[in-house]
Formats: sequence, structure tokens, C-alpha cells
Amino acid sequence: MRCVIAFGLAMLVVLGAGLVPPAAAQTKDDTLVYALQSDVQNWDPPNSVLRESIILGYNVFDHLAARDLKTGKVGPSLALSWKNLDDTTWEVKLRPNVKFHDGTPFGAKDVKATFERVLNPENKLTARGNHAKIKSVEVVDDLTVRFKTDGPYPLFVERLTAQVMQSEKVIREKGHEWMQENPIGTGPYKLVRWNKKQEHFLQRNDDYWGPKPAFKYVRIRIIPEQATQIAELVSGGVDIIKAVPPDQMDVINKSGQARTVTSPILRTAMIQLDQAGRSGPNPMTDKRVRQAVNYATDMDGIIKHVLNGLADRTATTVNPMAFGYDPSIKPYKQDLAQAKKLLAEAGYPNGLEVGFMRGQPIVEPGLIQTSDAIVADLAKAGIRTKARMIGETGPFTNLVRDSKPDPMFEWSWGYYSIFDADAIFYDVMTCGQPYSYYCNKAFDDLVFQGRSTLDTKKRAEIYAKAQRMIHDDAAYLFKWGLRGVWGVSNRVDYDAPRDEVDRMWIVTPRKK
Amino acid sequence: MTSLSEGKIDLVTLGDTAPAAARERASLRRLGRVRWGLAAGFVLLLIVASAVFAPWIAPHDPLAVNIRHRLGPPAWMDGGVPAHPLGTDQVGRDLLSRMIYGGRVSLMVGICSVLMSASIGVLLGLTAGYFGGSLDWSIMTLVNVMLTFPFVLLALAVIAVLGPSLVNMIFVLGVAGWPIYARVVRAEAMAIREREFVLAGRALGMSHLRIIFRQILPNLTSAIVVIATLQVAQVIIAESFLSFLGLGIQPPTPAWGNMLGEGRLYMLNSWWIATFPGLAIFVTTLMINLMGNALRDWLDPHMKL
Amino acid sequence: MDRDAAEEVEISPRPGPLTLPSPQRERVRGGGPGRARAVMRRYIARQLVQFLVVILGISILAFAILHVLGDPVLLLLPQNAGKEEFERYRHLLGLDRPLYVQYWKFLSNAVVGNFGKSWYADTPAFRLVLERMPPTIYLTFAGLVVALLISLPLGILAALKRHSWVDNLCTTVAVAGQATPLFWLGIMMIIVFSVRLKLLPASGYDSWENFLMPSFCLGATLAPITMRLVRSGVIEVMNMDFIKTARAKGVAESRVVIKHAFRNACIPVITVIGLQFGQLLGGAIITETVFAWPGVATLTVESIRNQDFPVVQCAVILLALVIVSVNLIVDLAVAFIDPRIRTGA
Repeated sequence: MRCVIAFGLAMLVVLGAGLVPPAAAQTKDDTLVYALQSDVQNWDPPNSVLRESIILGYNVFDHLAARDLKTGKVGPSLALSWKNLDDTTWEVKLRPNVKFHDGTPFGAKDVKATFERVLNPENKLTARGNHAKIKSVEVVDDLTVRFKTDGPYPLFVERLTAQVMQSEKVIREKGHEWMQENPIGTGPYKLVRWNKKQEHFLQRNDDYWGPKPAFKYVRIRIIPEQATQIAELVSGGVDIIKAVPPDQMDVINKSGQARTVTSPILRTAMIQLDQAGRSGPNPMTDKRVRQAVNYATDMDGIIKHVLNGLADRTATTVNPMAFGYDPSIKPYKQDLAQAKKLLAEAGYPNGLEVGFMRGQPIVEPGLIQTSDAIVADLAKAGIRTKARMIGETGPFTNLVRDSKPDPMFEWSWGYYSIFDADAIFYDVMTCGQPYSYYCNKAFDDLVFQGRSTLDTKKRAEIYAKAQRMIHDDAAYLFKWGLRGVWGVSNRVDYDAPRDEVDRMWIVTPRKK
Repeated sequence: MTSLSEGKIDLVTLGDTAPAAARERASLRRLGRVRWGLAAGFVLLLIVASAVFAPWIAPHDPLAVNIRHRLGPPAWMDGGVPAHPLGTDQVGRDLLSRMIYGGRVSLMVGICSVLMSASIGVLLGLTAGYFGGSLDWSIMTLVNVMLTFPFVLLALAVIAVLGPSLVNMIFVLGVAGWPIYARVVRAEAMAIREREFVLAGRALGMSHLRIIFRQILPNLTSAIVVIATLQVAQVIIAESFLSFLGLGIQPPTPAWGNMLGEGRLYMLNSWWIATFPGLAIFVTTLMINLMGNALRDWLDPHMKL
Repeated sequence: MDRDAAEEVEISPRPGPLTLPSPQRERVRGGGPGRARAVMRRYIARQLVQFLVVILGISILAFAILHVLGDPVLLLLPQNAGKEEFERYRHLLGLDRPLYVQYWKFLSNAVVGNFGKSWYADTPAFRLVLERMPPTIYLTFAGLVVALLISLPLGILAALKRHSWVDNLCTTVAVAGQATPLFWLGIMMIIVFSVRLKLLPASGYDSWENFLMPSFCLGATLAPITMRLVRSGVIEVMNMDFIKTARAKGVAESRVVIKHAFRNACIPVITVIGLQFGQLLGGAIITETVFAWPGVATLTVESIRNQDFPVVQCAVILLALVIVSVNLIVDLAVAFIDPRIRTGA
């Protein structure tokens, strides 16, 4: 008897010291469950370059303008209308009777406060580069804002879809630190709870000015393993997963519980080569080596066999869906002999060794297999890569930002969902940008020209020239435009979004 | 006559009921276990041989990527080819070849780290057991501290600092495994050092070193061998777990653990990529355990470990 | 002891007790209740001292791993920190001072719970680890319960019906179970029970259903070794004189088993459980990674991948602390039951 008592007491002591496990999840019918592979670092969208931040931002905040998914055109959201008064001034009229989640009314002062915060170089917000052409924001009246730009700014309207509107009161009273964990937006959902690296819990904003979301709650689960995500999808634990690898699509489609939906997306994959020498002296500063790298790989074969054809080969970093894409430029075709010849000319007759920084397939499905195939192809030409695996996106992007990657590293870019060549050129290929390892003055000039005229015909010509330049210079190892594959439970209706933004408020339960 | 012989038989039968019959049953059981052990040892020999002769046995280069033939099923299934008996993995490498080379890695890590653990552990255990005193106390405290840490936790902590690689794995697992030897060896050393032949040796002026290595150590070999054998299995599982997490042997070098990890995504359609390495780990560990148990029975069934 | 019993004592491949404490019904007589209390107090004091020594040892080990094996500044600061940051931190950590001074700094910080900030999440490492501790502890205990549910009845049955087919089956299953890698079992279970049968959730931490598979995996892996130890313990007890006495007195076999043998076999079993807790926690680490359990182990693995060392160091120390504390509680509980242990018998 004493034995049992003692044992029982011991168990109670230790058990009692802990917290009770969390209550059971909300009932399934009113909750939409969405899975992310990796968590955001903060809830302050201008302070993050992660796609997850953009997606979560869309659900809790609103933008001045929004893209209509069916037509692809930019239409009103928090802004009702806009016009340019002259080449460098835009006037935007705002929607009335919009409230933030904390009850404060939305007005011009919030637009001004948001942009000024983003544009202030001292704040070091990653979104600054997106809006660098905006010189100032003025409040005309409570519902009218005037933007002054640094020269003509053709992407002004497009970029209105890329900045969430934050509350002036919050910026002024609560400050930066508080904003990292407490998003106060005007959007269709509000954040109720964030268990870091585990889940986010959103609740419907019943005072939302726009269409009422069908699901009262959204549960965003962080599930790092793709195998687990798929298992959860086909067993009913999750409703929507993204970035499904093409070779797992049959598992989902045959499960009877879920299906896959696909769409070409803006995200373009590439392998950055350190032409600028930011990571130190390396072989990639030589154009011939970079060309050899492009000639060595059989990208078409990789798309066909590893991605089951679900990708669109790009000759440069410009996506076929983006404005300015020039289809006349042909991508490099595999030519091992040419690759070896170029390497010999560059002084590497016996090949060379180079470091290759690799990551996880968070936004780019099949990344590990495609990179394995690329590595094997490069080895055939004598380019021996030494892989360095970085397990998480946050540290990966930090290393890139701080000039500490290897001379070759995997990279993809979602364009901030702006369908324009400028959206990739500026951030990823001009001199001095944190995520750009290419520096070519002539190219920079073209980019600045392209974003300084409102003439679309002229812009197209400029961008065609720019693409030819980076293609011939083999700026990076060019790969492809991705096709997004989502796994969707059969209990909901959802179409694959072309701009890679998962809008929870448009998901509806499937009619039986 | 019959009654006498019957009586004799009766006596014999009566007399032998409890102890002798039980003894006979016990010996038969021991023999049975030893037979299992021999069978296991034979299978293990095959595994070791395949690892040693890998370059000659493996049909393909385990690192040869061929994306045109990726996710190929095993030869007996629809779509399988005899050239790849166990199929191909997610980038077209031959699974059988990778399994064979993976065995190399696992066995090498297992044997090397156990050798390391045994050396350190036996040395420290002998020191503690023979010399006693504060040396004994400090070593045993260290042993207790290290035994508190789960093997896995200690390995993770050290890999975190050193970074994943084959050499670091062997080092980590070798360092994490020595306490068990120390504890056992110390107990035995303490018992033996009071025996007459040791005391006689001291009286004759034998040096401590001679006593330790000539008189005490030989009595411990069976214990050490048995523990070492069983620990190889434990190390193989630990190594495969670390590789499975991505913290051990790095791909593309094949190791059963990282093959399992990479193949996990494909369990629902291309199940062979993860299943065969998993089976390999299971079979190897099972054989080692069976052989270890049999060894223990054969060498000294009185062993209390 | 006859040879049969000698045979049955088997080696545990994992570290375990050398010998099991022998149970006995008689109490230590003489001296009265006062003396018994004094003996108990002395025992508790001894155990506490040992506890502190082991904790100190763990802190030294953790310190050594970080500060001796690697460059702590490089490990503790985010990779993008500038040169001045490095120098400042080096001075802060006192790395220009002798090793024991560094250790003292580390220890004095650790005692108040200051393990530095997780530079990835920008929150104190201690808070992060503490938040994730309950799921790990719950999982470990759930695994313990499952292991006991499997190993106790089977171990006792095998001990009572020694050498029968039941015993052989149990031993076979035990050997097979010990060879199965835990993470492999976990993956297979998810496929069978979540994907194919759609009975249980594949991951997560919401309700009791989430506990079933992980705790079964964990318990099933520890059950073989526990079963064998229970079996040995029960066999030892069954060979004791007082059992033979009870039988000779004509007590029914079932009563012998339940009232006499079982109660006394409790003690070695509890000791074994206490000592296996460390192994259980190790198993929980493996289980967590397979089932995406939001516990300390997944945090540790992630932090290793992120090179977030303050968190790794804090997690390792806190986990070790939990194990040592549980060992202490078990030791005290066993001493409470069996007075002979207090006197060091």
C-alpha cells in the first residue's frame, strides 16, 4: 500500500507542477485550418521579407489597393480612387467609415504615418526599397492623401497593393517593439493568439468593411515537415497546405479527402552567383565561370523529370507573367563541352571548387531534389560544389542580407506580388541592395530609367534591353518561374492564387 | 533382478527430479539461445562483409544522380527494373548501393565509437576501482552525472557546438558511451583486488600497472565484450537518429539515418526509399542484440550487469 | 541461489542499476520512532547533498561543452553582429579572465535563470524553454504510463510462468522491440493510424487523442527493457524465503502472488522506473521530433539548426535538472517504503 501511495504522490507532485494541456480546438465547422512550414519572425509586415509575413499581413491588414484575382487588375481597397495630378504627384481618395481592430477610425493620417515609418532609413525596415520613390506623403483632408514622388513613378498604383496600412495611433503610442507582436489592422481577421513557432489563431472581424469571411476562425498551424503536412491534409487535420512538391500530388489527389489546385505564380527561382564579390573573392566574379555554370545545367530536364513539368523555364529572372518579360530571349541550353571550354579559358582547366549555400523547400517545392540534380550536372562540367545546408529561412535570409553566404546560393523571389520586372530587378539585381549579389552599372542605369517613365512602350523596350544584358552576362544561374501547387481539403472551396497570397476570407465551405 | 534394477531406476529417476532435470532444461535453453546467437552472428557477418566489400558488391555508384530514373520502384514491382533491385531514390540513385555503403558508415561509426568508449571507460573504471579513494569518488561522480544525461541529449548538445560530420559523430558517441564500462569495470575491479592472487602479487612486489593489466583486466574481458557488442547496436540507432534529424552524416553521403529522413516525404507513394533503410537498421540492431545476448550466455551466464 | 535464477538476471544494454535492492518485510527494529526519524533525516540529507553535487556536475559539463569545445562568443552572438559587438561580449562574458571565473559568472547567471537571449526569437532563452517544458514532461509521463501498462503485467506473467511459451514470447517481443528504432515506429504509426485509417491526428497538441500515438511509441520502446527488469525483480522476490514460508503455510497461490510478492516487488520496480526516467526523456526527445510535438526537444533541434546556442544550453541544463529531480524524488519515495535503504543496506 505504501508503495502505491508513494508512487502516486510522486506522480502528482510532478504533474501538478505543470500547466494543463490546452483546451481542445474550436469545432471544425467554423474553423479554417491553414498550414505554414515556417513561422514569421514578427507581425510587422514592413519589417520582414518572408512570404509568410506577406500572407499573414493580407489577412489582418488591408492595403490601399487590391488585385482582382480574376481579372488581374488592380482595384480599390482602402483607397477608392487615385489619379496623378502631374508626373510626380498622386492624389488618393480613401474609403470612409473604416475602423481599425481597436476601434480607431482609419484616415489619411494613418497612411502618412505608415509610409513615413517605412521610408525612414533609421527604422531599417525591409520594405523601404519597395517605396523608395515616394518622397513625401501629405494629408489633404481626412479622406484624401497626396503623394509626391522622386520623378515619375510608373509602379505607384501596383505598389499600393504592397503596403499594409498601420494605425498612426499605434505607431505613435505603442512603438516598434509592441508592433512586432501585436498587429492592429483594418482587415477581415484579427489576431487573437500567437504561440510562437506553433500556431496563430485568427478571429473574424465582424465590423469589416468588406465581404464577410465565411469562416469565423482561422487556425494557422506551423508544421515544418512536408510529410506531416501532407499526412494532416489527407487525414483531415488541415484544410489548406501550400508548396506541395509535384511528386506528392498523386498522394493528395488519390486520397479522396483532398485535391490539388495549381497556378503559375510570380515566384521565380534562381541561384545567385556572387558577381559583386560581396562574400569575398570567388570564381563567380568571372563572367566565363558564370556562363559555364549556365551551360552545364540541364534545366529543361530537371523541370521535366523532377518537377513533372510544373515550372516555366525563364531565360533571366523575369517571370513570364510580369510586365516587361521578353519572350524572344532564349534560355541557355545545356552544353557541357562549351562549359568546360569556358572554364579552361577562365583559368580552371581542371574544374574548380565553390561553396553552395542551400536551404529548405519552404516556398520552392522540390528544392532539395532540383538542387541535387543541378549539383550533379555542375560536377559533370568539373564544377565541384561544397554544400552548406541552412535549416531555417530566417537565418538563411539573414546570412544573405549580411554578406555572409557562399558564392552560390539558392534564391527565389515573389516580387511582393507586383507583376512587373522592376519588382525583381531593383531588389535582387541592382548594386548595393541587401539581397542582390549582382552589380552592373549599365544595368542599374536601365533599371532606373525603367522606373522613371510612365510610358509603357518605352518601359518594355528598356526592360528587354536589360534582360538581354543580364542573360549575356550570365548574371545568375537562371532557373524557372514556379507553378504553385496547393493541397485543398474537399470540405472547402479554394482556387490557387496567382499572386501567391492565401486569402483566408474568400475560402468557403463546399456545398454538399 | 528386475525389481532391483527397477528400484535403481526408480531411485535414479526420483533422485534426479528437481535439480538435475532443471539443470538439463537450463542447459538446453542456453544451447538454444546460443544457436540463435550463432545464426545472428552469421547474418551479421554477411552484413559486415557487404560493408567491407562494398566497392565490389554495390552494383552502382551510390552518389550517381540520374533524374530520368528517379523514384523507380523495386525490381519486383510494376515499373521496376532488374538493374535497380531495390529501386531508386528521389534523384535517381540506386537504393541497394546506397544501402550497402550506408551500412559501411553505420558500422564504422558503431565500431569506432564503441572502441573509443570502451577504452576510456575501462581505463577510468580500472583506475577508480583499483586505487579507490578520492580518485574513485571523482570518477564515479562524473559517471553518475553523465549517466543522468540521456545519451541522445548529450549527443545533441555536443553536435550543436561541433557541427555535424562523420568524425564529430564518432567523437560524440564515443564520449557519451564510456560511463557504463567505467561503472561495471570499477565494481569488478574492486571485487578482484581483494582476492588472494592479487594480494600475493602485491606481496611479491608487482607494480600496480602489472597487476591491473595482467591480473585484473583479463577477468573483465567477457563483461567488456558483451557490453561493447550490445552498445554497438545502441550507437547505430543513435547515429541513425542524428542523421535522420540532419545533424549527423550529411547527404549526399549515404547513411541509413539520413536516407530515412530524406525518404520520409515519399512514404505515401515511393515507400521503398525510407522502408529499406529502416529495415536495415532494425535487422542489424536485432542481430547484434541476439548475438550479444548469446555471447553473454556463453561466456558467463552468472554475469550480473 | 540456484542456477535458474542466476541465468535469469539479464544485462540491460542501457545503463541501469547494478543490483536491485533486495526487498524485505521485516523492519529495522530497536530504537523506537525517534531513531527511525533520525535515520530518515540523515538519508534525506545525504540524498540532497548528492543531488546538489550532480547538479553542479551537470552545470560544469554544460559549461565545458559550450566554452571549452567551441568559441562561446561566436556561438552566443547572432552571426551578423559587428566586430565591436564581439569584443564587448567577450569582455562581458569575461573570456579574458581565467576559466573558473568564467564558470562562476555562468553559474551565477544560470541560478537566477539568466541564460542569455535567444537571438533568433529575441526573447530570453529561459522563458522559451520553460514555455515548452510542459508538453515534454506530459509526454514523458504518458510514455511511462504506457510502458508500465505493457511491462508490468507482461513482466510479472513472464516471471510467474517462467520458461513457458508465454515467457518465450515475451522475451522475443522484448528483443524485437529493443531493436526497433523509435523514430521508425513513429513514422509507421502515423501512416497507419492517421493516413490510412484516419483514426488519430498526425501531429499537433490539442486534445488527448494527440497523446495516444506518441506515448504509445515512447512506452513501447521502453517497455522491453522495463519488462525484463520487472521480470528479474519478481523472480528474485519469488525465490525469497518468506514466499516459501507462505506457501508452506498453505496460503493460496494467488494470495501469495498478490499480497506478498507483488508488494515487495514494487520496490525494485519503482527504483527501475526512476532510473529509466532519464532514458524516457531521451526517448521523448526522439518522439517529439517525429510527431511535431511542441516540446523542448523540437525547440532544441530547431535551435541547433538555427545555431541558437543560448537556447540549446538552457534546454540541456533544464532537462538534466528535471531528470535529477525526478531521481531524487524516486530515491526518497523508495526510502520511505523500505527502511533498509536509509541505513545504506
